[in-house]
Amino acid sequence: MVGGPLKRLHNWLKSLIRSIFRRKTEVRLGLYGPTNSGKTTLANRICMDWIGEKMGKVSSIPHETREIQVKEKVTIEKGNKKLVFKLVDTPGIATKIDFEDFVKRGLKKKKAKQRAKEATKGVIEAIKWLDKMDAVLVVLDASKNPIDQVNVTILGNLEARNTPVLIVANKIDLKRANAQKVREAFPKYKVIGISAKKGSGIKNLYNELFELL
Amino acid sequence: MDEKLKIKFIPYEVLKNKRTRDLISDLKKNTIIIVDAKLMPREEARLIRAAMKKISSKFSGIELNSLELSEVKKDKTWSDVIKEKIIEIILGKKRGMTIIGPADIIKKIEKDPTDLLLFMK
Repeated sequence: MVGGPLKRLHNWLKSLIRSIFRRKTEVRLGLYGPTNSGKTTLANRICMDWIGEKMGKVSSIPHETREIQVKEKVTIEKGNKKLVFKLVDTPGIATKIDFEDFVKRGLKKKKAKQRAKEATKGVIEAIKWLDKMDAVLVVLDASKNPIDQVNVTILGNLEARNTPVLIVANKIDLKRANAQKVREAFPKYKVIGISAKKGSGIKNLYNELFELL
Repeated sequence: MDEKLKIKFIPYEVLKNKRTRDLISDLKKNTIIIVDAKLMPREEARLIRAAMKKISSKFSGIELNSLELSEVKKDKTWSDVIKEKIIEIILGKKRGMTIIGPADIIKKIEKDPTDLLLFMK
């Protein structure tokens, strides 16, 4: 399933070299997370705040984002400091995709099957792009149980690649949201509570980006 | 998925030399796989990617979850951490357990956090 120590050493050296020679002029900031955690809502918020245009369509039906979306040269400012990066919105990572779930949410069978097929490709692409990221915001839904295997897999893969990570506990505007629970679940990481939809905590997130990149 | 449910125990040393597509093939035949170690993150990602490639109307993907022994033990001292690292290097695996199963028959696998609970559909 995987090579032995040589393969692991090769992967480790690759990520080390990548982090040393990271081209600071073309920093890629990825948005990763499970489906429906609000990655595209956050991407839209960042893009609207700093370049005045949206990034993608959002929907309550999972797997709305099925392709990698990139916004070039997003520039954010803090005092006289500037941060320029490529914002990469990725499809939500999942371990299963059942077209029947889309049918239950009102899609016609043919459309549901098409969406499922595109969603599988989206997950594969998102995983492939893990190697290309310079830093990642892992966007989690703060109203859900954070100890989910998908979240653990994403964070583990980023750690294995030495990619700087900031966890964004999104949807704190919801009554059942609990950013503290996310902090307790992942004590090794910095966690910022925000509502990408309402905008709360977003300034704090922008400040943290200067630390991350 | 009309085959009878099977549970397969695979030592990590065997699993890591197994082709991912063979594992997916097992999972598609109503098999739950139990491994005596926590999979490495890259192995989990590879498994998810392979599962995505095989999704069809008869196979909707996988459920997986794992326990790492070092996570289970609370109030660890520095010597515990170092001991665990040394064992990990010697064994070449993270001590623990992983359960992988087809999502068509498994509803979810929950971490309790010191146990793994498998809920069937």
